Amino acid sequence: MRIKAKMAGVASGAALLVAASVAQADVLFWSTQAKPVEEAQSMRENVLAGHGDAVDYQPNDGGPWLTRLNAELQAGDGTIGVLGALHGDFSAMNPDDLVDLSDMGVGSASETFNNLAMLGTDSAQYIPWMQASYIMAANKKALEHLPEGADIDALTYDQLIEWSANVMEATGEAKFGFPAGPKGLKHRFFQGYLYPSYTDGVVRTFASDAAVTAWETFLELWAVTNPGSTNFSFLQEQLLSEEVWIAFDHTSRLANAFNERPDDFVAFPAPAGPTGRGFMPVIAGVGIPRTAPDMEASKALVAYMLSPETQIATLRATNFFPVVDVALPDDLPPAVQAAGGAVAKMSASPDANPGLLPAGLGAKGGDFNRVFVDTFERIVLAGQPIRAVLDDQKVALAEIMNETGAPCWAPDAPSDGACPVE
Amino acid sequence: MSEATVDAGPDDPRKAGKFVYIAAVVLLCAWVLVPLYFLLINTLSSPEAVNAFPKRFVPEFDLGSLTFFAGFEGMLVALKNSILVAAITMVMSITIGAPAGYALSRFDFKGKGLFRLLILLTRAFPLPLLALPLAVMFIRTGLDDTVFGLALVHTTLAIPFAVLITFSLFSGIPIELEEAAWTLGCTRLTAFTKVVFPLILPGITASAIFAFVISWNEVFAAAVLTIENRTLTAFLLQNLDTSPLHLKFAGGFILVVPALIFIFAVRKYLFAMWGIANR
Repeated sequence: MRIKAKMAGVASGAALLVAASVAQADVLFWSTQAKPVEEAQSMRENVLAGHGDAVDYQPNDGGPWLTRLNAELQAGDGTIGVLGALHGDFSAMNPDDLVDLSDMGVGSASETFNNLAMLGTDSAQYIPWMQASYIMAANKKALEHLPEGADIDALTYDQLIEWSANVMEATGEAKFGFPAGPKGLKHRFFQGYLYPSYTDGVVRTFASDAAVTAWETFLELWAVTNPGSTNFSFLQEQLLSEEVWIAFDHTSRLANAFNERPDDFVAFPAPAGPTGRGFMPVIAGVGIPRTAPDMEASKALVAYMLSPETQIATLRATNFFPVVDVALPDDLPPAVQAAGGAVAKMSASPDANPGLLPAGLGAKGGDFNRVFVDTFERIVLAGQPIRAVLDDQKVALAEIMNETGAPCWAPDAPSDGACPVE
Repeated sequence: MSEATVDAGPDDPRKAGKFVYIAAVVLLCAWVLVPLYFLLINTLSSPEAVNAFPKRFVPEFDLGSLTFFAGFEGMLVALKNSILVAAITMVMSITIGAPAGYALSRFDFKGKGLFRLLILLTRAFPLPLLALPLAVMFIRTGLDDTVFGLALVHTTLAIPFAVLITFSLFSGIPIELEEAAWTLGCTRLTAFTKVVFPLILPGITASAIFAFVISWNEVFAAAVLTIENRTLTAFLLQNLDTSPLHLKFAGGFILVVPALIFIFAVRKYLFAMWGIANR
């Protein structure tokens, strides 16, 4: 009897507490960005606290983010006020599910970004929010091993390989780090850096002879790459633990290294190949789903995110750079200064060959990335012959392009209709 | 006899057996305790010490990482939600699962074998697949973003364990005990509460622990089905994988401790199942 009474007590207590949970009316900011706990905390305390209305900032993994959003769209009744995500996340959505934001009068200073944000329609489906890029970082101990005559701000891929080989000879360990881990952003390296630098294209030139050279070069680089790289997803960790001395990664995935030990690391531009110094921006945007509970409040929050002060606060919180014209203050964190310098040098270099994010692929964006990851795994990890793998993967790539009808984007030459794989 | 053991020397097979036994116990304890110990050390270390190699074996009692989480908005609410969801899951999975287990062990009915198999089916579908239709339904019925709604989902996940554990326990208790109670004036219900229930209490605890752990660890449904009322796992775990190492350790520690406390609190009921209680 005693047990029964206890259990009844627990049950009724639980029921009471359930009834006591109250709903709030904050604007829900449903984001895939600024997910690490420190960044999320900083978004809440330093960025969103300045907005008039209370904002509930909730960063999520991509899976739950999309599932919840789709559920609300299907049910036709939502709690999400504002979406924060990468360009790729938005382009995978149906533009009809996003509120048209053209009449808001806010946008990025870059017309390219604003055009991307239209998602193939003729009005803004989301507003560019912040940008980042991929750069190189090195431990200062590695600098003495730089090949003779090499300028760290104007490296070539061959010099990078030679440098990494020198370090390997001196230390006995392969100390170049590459984000080939499960959550690593390796596909962006191939799409935005290796291919543009060697083939002056991504889709058209996927299986060209120049692409074979590119992969041969990458194999040389892989020979002096830390074999643990297939587990590396955030190179800041390996830089800090000194498993790796030279690294390529997303600026925000290198930030902790610079912030924790600013005097030990240098940031520098990505290397150049025969067709220039390929590099790629990363764009995150803010949008409003058509099920937002309070449209005015959502729009007010979007406008707030684009104001210059918020953009600088966001830069401090997330290491993502502003998309509007702002004067950057001098007291920025070390990671921001280092990355900002490297990105500026990269885009200002005489041989700069900027690529764009894949556009017009819609829901096939993931499959597009998969082609590059598979090619990497087959050529580099499984050691299959380059020509055969490229001819094989080319079919998968052509299928994606034909299915989506996506036209070519820079640095590929423009196309009428779907971008052809030549 | 005693002389023989003394003379046997180091080759005594019993001694060797004992050595293997002790080694196995030590290994098993280390298997569980060493990771927990490292988690504790790294939680109490500064970021530099966490990234350093070789690792330290003594914590330096740097509370930086824990202090960060103390100031992390919404932690306590999330912890409260987690405990609530886990508690409701426990109560519901046992209230539903135990009678089902009893029925399976005491009564013969058509399709019993099939039923036992079907009960496992709730675990056959991955949650990411079920989450979308569930979320749509929850939004339409108003269960969305409630602790109770999430507990319903977790109960579904926990029920197979509750049913199968209690089923094997009831089967282990001779029906004669119940029959004796009936002849001595008990009804079916009182025979159950006074005779059978005390005997299976340890099994109930075991299924309660299962239910608790399942609910405590579940992320996907929690992340999709709750917004304001997030559980600690949904609130923290998703954000930890991309966080710096020292915060990963501290966050992991925070996620592990409540579960450990719960298991310690109920351990005496659990041990009773293996007949080592009250010794």
